[in-house]
Amino acid sequence: MILTGTEIMRCVASGDIEIDPFDRDLLTPNSYDLTFSGKLITYDAAVIDPLRETPTIDIPVPSDGVVLEAGRVYLASSHERIGSNMYVPMLKGRSSAARLGLFTHITADIIDLGFFGCITMQLYAVQPFVLRRGVSIAQLTFWTCEGDRTLYDGKYQGAAGPIASRSWLDGKGPGQ
Amino acid sequence: MGLLEMIQTGPRIEQHVANSKIVIDPFDRRCLNPNSYNYHLGPLVHRLNDGQVAETHDLRSAPLVLEPRTVYLGHTLERIGSEVYVTLLNGRSSLGRLGLFLNYSADLGHRGAVHCWTLELLAAHPIWIYFGMEVGQATFWSVAGAGPIYCGRFAQFDGPTPGLQSDLEWLG
Repeated sequence: MILTGTEIMRCVASGDIEIDPFDRDLLTPNSYDLTFSGKLITYDAAVIDPLRETPTIDIPVPSDGVVLEAGRVYLASSHERIGSNMYVPMLKGRSSAARLGLFTHITADIIDLGFFGCITMQLYAVQPFVLRRGVSIAQLTFWTCEGDRTLYDGKYQGAAGPIASRSWLDGKGPGQ
Repeated sequence: MGLLEMIQTGPRIEQHVANSKIVIDPFDRRCLNPNSYNYHLGPLVHRLNDGQVAETHDLRSAPLVLEPRTVYLGHTLERIGSEVYVTLLNGRSSLGRLGLFLNYSADLGHRGAVHCWTLELLAAHPIWIYFGMEVGQATFWSVAGAGPIYCGRFAQFDGPTPGLQSDLEWLG
């Protein structure tokens, strides 16, 4: 079941959910609107190889915003540090941004139970899009789960900004 | 009281594979996450052009570079599914962060369909893909209410399967 905004607020107060900083004006009926931290990176390679580390470049975000090129993936981080050991977070784009052709996190929306950190959002613009610090382009939902819990202990734990893929640390090669 | 809709934890997925309420075959418990299972990429990849298969590549002979603005269909290495739980097939954040998007629109697998799933692959940037790579996550959800299980056209296929215009019911 998806938690209501009221329940999310109750869980933040009780410590079952972390959203820091928390602003009750960003609660919606079934989610919490995350804001863009101003930290943005993109890849610097002609062809990406998941088995190797791909270099990234930092994209400055001036006060009047940065133009996201169409057809390129950018990684942006949330201003908020989030997480829960009780409820499974799932990241969704906000329809306001999607209606402008900005895809926020169009794959892999599930965030592991036990992850704590700033969310790295995959951004993909269908046409050029101006992104400004502090805008909300994604929303976080929380879901109940069934069964014994194991908690995330992986390579993106504790993120303080956008983290590029660490797929090359997977440790299992092709065909294994 | 009806069943509540809840995502299954990794330990619960493992229990259900053991008691056959969930099928993941082959199964490797190292691929379990707190709330999902990492599935792998099967050998065949179709490149589509105008809705038709223009080229088929076998990843067992060589890896492949996926090009942007092109529709590719791959498939899971594993047979996956359940008659009890709803399966959602999604990408992994490690590959999403590289701009490799899986099942970008239709991630819902109906209850009752148990087979190797067709994967819609979209690359934001040119990217290598390899046979057997951990390419996505499957989550399993309990359902609210009773209802029929899936018995449609796609359940019979274990390889990448394009859609047909005739699959889209015209309600006009």
